[in-house]
Amino acid sequence: MPGKSRTEREALERQNAAIMAVFERAGFDQIAPDIIQPADIFLERSGEDIRARTFVFTDPSGAEMCLRPDLTVPACRYHLSHAANPQAEKRYCYLGPAFRFPDELLSPQEFTQAGIEWFGAKEAIAAEARVLKLTISALEAAGLTRFRVTFGDLGLFAGLLADTDMPERWRRRLQHHFWRPHAFRELLESFCAARASRRTSISALVDRINDGNALALVEAELDTRKLPFVGGRDVTEIAARLEEKAADRRETPLDRAKADTINAYLAITGDASSIDAELKTINGGTRYAAARDYFSKRLFEMEELGLNPRRFHFAAGFGRDLEYYTGFTFQIEADTPLGSIAVAGGGRYDNLLSDMGSARPVSAVGCAIHTDRLKAVLA
Amino acid sequence: MSTITIAIPSKGRLMEAAAELLAKAGFSIERLGADRGYRGVLKGIENVEVAFLSASEIAQNLRDGKIDLGVTGEDLLREKISADDKACDVLVRLGFGPADVVVAVPECWLDVATMTDLDEIAESFYERHGRRLRVATKYHNLTRRFFAEKGVTGYRIVESLGATEGAPAAGIAEIIVDITTTGSTLAANSLKILDDGVILKSSAVLAGRTAVLDDPRVIRLRAALSTMA
Repeated sequence: MPGKSRTEREALERQNAAIMAVFERAGFDQIAPDIIQPADIFLERSGEDIRARTFVFTDPSGAEMCLRPDLTVPACRYHLSHAANPQAEKRYCYLGPAFRFPDELLSPQEFTQAGIEWFGAKEAIAAEARVLKLTISALEAAGLTRFRVTFGDLGLFAGLLADTDMPERWRRRLQHHFWRPHAFRELLESFCAARASRRTSISALVDRINDGNALALVEAELDTRKLPFVGGRDVTEIAARLEEKAADRRETPLDRAKADTINAYLAITGDASSIDAELKTINGGTRYAAARDYFSKRLFEMEELGLNPRRFHFAAGFGRDLEYYTGFTFQIEADTPLGSIAVAGGGRYDNLLSDMGSARPVSAVGCAIHTDRLKAVLA
Repeated sequence: MSTITIAIPSKGRLMEAAAELLAKAGFSIERLGADRGYRGVLKGIENVEVAFLSASEIAQNLRDGKIDLGVTGEDLLREKISADDKACDVLVRLGFGPADVVVAVPECWLDVATMTDLDEIAESFYERHGRRLRVATKYHNLTRRFFAEKGVTGYRIVESLGATEGAPAAGIAEIIVDITTTGSTLAANSLKILDDGVILKSSAVLAGRTAVLDDPRVIRLRAALSTMA
């Protein structure tokens, strides 16, 4: 129903005041990032769901702007433009509207988001546990009692991938496709089969590539077929990629057992109490072991903060729809008579500030609460 | 019995073909109004009004529930109403106006044959040129859906309202998503269709709101057109 009555508005404001009080008491500064934002970073880093649901428009100068679909990116932009040294530790919280086209679940197109972002935390593991703890405390302060926590850890996946023997460019492509499970599986499969598995309309040309002749071949081909040069890419770019394609064919295929290990890892899901044992069954190397160590320390930190992570749910593939996360990810769902409803989520996103133009890397952990959905659940 | 409205394209080949098909099925169109303008009635069936609209408005009006039935291109229909929208449905494929909505790239991209190739060059294009690959199209939704399905993300859509096939040569975009019948316009502009780049095999359709599917007049029209098409 459009709009909110006075009573509805006041009830939501009361709930959100309780949430923000938790964040502010913990030492997070409340900021008000801009509602209207440049569109590019949202469209490039947010994942398809948000990409397709963002209100984008063009300003009179021709720049593509949008109504923010969430507040994480605006908070990062605020930080980069206000902080004298973006790497120095800073803790922010915020409360404000965000906008998305309704999806098939008929989610509201404007809703109020509350959240925190913690930049440059000195102790990474402690910050992750603390953000989860604060999120839960804020939800409890709002009145939520029955909920379920699911978490994942992209660091484990990155460690496993780094330990798996394959050309770096394959690793990059797998990492790039991590967010799209279907494409990921196909890609992994193609690396096992390697060599000319599927012929395409350019395979014949790739057949003719051998040591260093790609550029000459491309030039000759363009010349004989009298193809005009359009489309912004230059000849060296096209030749280099053809060479890469030819190199892929010569490459030793990925060991089938290694691919199975990656798939086995991604399939791990269950109660966190049994996860340590399951993670151990995965045959990784030193970097995977380091990520597992980090994982155990985080569980310990959570316990130190009075959380009971053994009751949480772990899923190795969790976070695959949130493109900017790089490590710890979590989601909190309220138990309702209608089933579980996601009311909050968060995690670590260490690359986002660099992607947004920060000259030096800035670590970041945060969470966001969908306050309207929370209100509906609690009503 | 309340009136139901069927929309027909207001001009061009689609309009002629639609009127001809309806007439063959036994329903001729009588235009009404002083200037024999944009409304009419269907003869041979009770209380069916005809609205003459532009082909792209027909999909929009169907979605908004302003009309009950419409003859339009499947490309325009699917651009406005996704296949999983339960409010509207394709009732009859009419068999005229065949055309494919395709993804085409410059022929000089000798290293690109598939959507996967496109995804791979998107990343390096960004690193090298500091901007995203641009796709010129009027089919924003079809493009987004198809690219997402194929796992291609590093691109940007550029609005194109006409002569889309000229966009790469004009430097407005690198890639196009457009409709083609024979492919000759693409070839003339030195563009090639990707191996797996056919988004939709389109033709003219009779589409309708699911709410009117049980109306006896809709059942009759649908049956009559099905046997003609």
